Amino acid sequence: MADSELTVTTAAVLTAEEDQSTGLRRTGRLTLIVKRFARRPSAVVGLVLLVLLVVFAFVGPRIAQWGYDEPDFLALAQAPSAEHWFGTTTGGSDVFALVARGLGRSLAIGILSSVAITVIAAIVGTTIAFFEGWVERVGMWVLDMLLVVPSFLLIAMIVRSSSGANGWLWLTLGITAFGWIGYARVLRTLTLSLRELDYVHAARYMGVRSFTIIRRHLIPNLGSVLIIQTVLGVVAAVNSETALSFLGLGIKAPDTSLGTILQAGQSVILTAPWVLIAPSVALVLLTFSVQLIGDGLRDAIDPNSRSGGRA
Amino acid sequence: MGTFLLRRTANYVAMLFVAVSATYLLASAFMDPRSNYLSRNPRPPMDSINASLTAANINDEDPLLLRYWRWLTDIVLHWNWGLSPDQEPVASAVATRIGASTQLVTLATVLAIVIGVGIGVYTAIRQYKWQDRVLGGFATFFLVIPTAVLALFVVIGAIYINEALGFRLFYVTGLHSYEGDSPWLWLLDFAQHLILPTIVLTIIGAVSYHLTQRTYLLDTMKADYVRTARAKGLPLNLAIRKHALRTSLIPTAVNVAFSIAAVFTGAVITETIFAINGLGRYFVTTIINNDINGATCIAAFAGVCALVGALLADVVVAWLDPRIRIS
Repeated sequence: MADSELTVTTAAVLTAEEDQSTGLRRTGRLTLIVKRFARRPSAVVGLVLLVLLVVFAFVGPRIAQWGYDEPDFLALAQAPSAEHWFGTTTGGSDVFALVARGLGRSLAIGILSSVAITVIAAIVGTTIAFFEGWVERVGMWVLDMLLVVPSFLLIAMIVRSSSGANGWLWLTLGITAFGWIGYARVLRTLTLSLRELDYVHAARYMGVRSFTIIRRHLIPNLGSVLIIQTVLGVVAAVNSETALSFLGLGIKAPDTSLGTILQAGQSVILTAPWVLIAPSVALVLLTFSVQLIGDGLRDAIDPNSRSGGRA
Repeated sequence: MGTFLLRRTANYVAMLFVAVSATYLLASAFMDPRSNYLSRNPRPPMDSINASLTAANINDEDPLLLRYWRWLTDIVLHWNWGLSPDQEPVASAVATRIGASTQLVTLATVLAIVIGVGIGVYTAIRQYKWQDRVLGGFATFFLVIPTAVLALFVVIGAIYINEALGFRLFYVTGLHSYEGDSPWLWLLDFAQHLILPTIVLTIIGAVSYHLTQRTYLLDTMKADYVRTARAKGLPLNLAIRKHALRTSLIPTAVNVAFSIAAVFTGAVITETIFAINGLGRYFVTTIINNDINGATCIAAFAGVCALVGALLADVVVAWLDPRIRIS
């Protein structure tokens, strides 16, 4: 550990000297992160995959020959063909259009709820840790209490009553409402050391308002953790969306999501496997690419990472 | 130790009470048993709808707090968890499903722990070698793949194997179908049913134990006392086994204790796909039937499991970790 610190210091001194002598520009933090991210092949593959999926979700419905909600009654449970690229379901719906639409839904739910979860968890986690004393004790008790009943059961209860066009917003709300608790506990643990930082103490004794300290000092310090968590949270949110919709508790017809298509494919697993395979491939590509991006970001942001190569 | 456990238990009971009460109120607010009757054709007369809803204490015309009070006193005084909209007692329905869930998850949990921890140790010792990279890649893949996709592809694979063999090696639905008296044939039949869901549950569980155990062991391998052991002249393997492995198993043991909760309720998808009448599948039924009492009863059972797990985790830490003293 001491060795690497030494090298870092000497390297910094060297660069500083170089700066003065040759006028070289220093590498900014963001550039550094981008460079380190780009050096990891798996992360780049993940990013490319995700971009392709997003393009597919936006462009797919426009180039598909059928809408996701207009069944072709002359082609029920057809294998993939020139007219129906991914085949049709037993109800005659075009699987290509369904998957494009469902992918968009799953992505929207995943990203929206993951961002919302991070925001809530960051505010609650840091606030609980910052105020210490009875706020912390009561807050932790409440967080632990909220974790007693598995959140999956609670989400299922409240999204059951939601259907129709805005059903997906309800699902997002449900996943958010019970998804932030575990993260908030983790962030509180991380804040325990941040609240002892000298400038946090200084700000406190200078009479800076508590929420200003939280906003200005604590949350930015957790920045990298929060970014990584948001990215990886998308995987978790997509997985719970899929699980709920698959069980028939999430998104319901006429709207569709990848889980809903999986459910439709489950009953025709032998006679029309394409109904199952297309959304499965989309789901696996989606979650896997996001995970690769998250892992890549973690390595790129982490100052102690040994991802290889020079900065 | 005794007073510590007692204090913890009291705290957990208070938590459980608040959590289950909140779940009941939440379920009452969001689930609408009346719609079960309104959607029937021909629609039953309003009076009889109201009569059956009131009999099950789920009539939305009664004030919520009154229903809550009835529900609570029934449980506390008579251990009666209420009726489903079909007037079936939910407690006995839950009790019968616990058995099926236990049969399903016991073997998978044990296998997941053994395999996961084993691979975790193996890859930690070979960090950044090709074994670690390959196994880590597989683990990431199985970590993110949705359970439904994994289980459905296991089913497809099993059906193709069955067709290729010409007879039924794997059963894809239920847990039992043998109706004779021979215990050996019963066991064989049980195994044929159990193997597919066990594969699914084992993969899901083992992957997370693998990744966490690898991280924990890598953390302890860098610790000072392991370096001291190496400096003393201990071979690497012995240093890891005697000094690093033991401490790194503590957080895993805590995870195992916590996972007892998930053991009973974590198999919702697997139970649905393999048509096993366990708690998870029953939970989906209660939600679809707007069964407020049934859903709350399952949530309460899951909560009890979670807190037993937490208590067990406290004990395990105190027992395994010499750095922690409870007095």
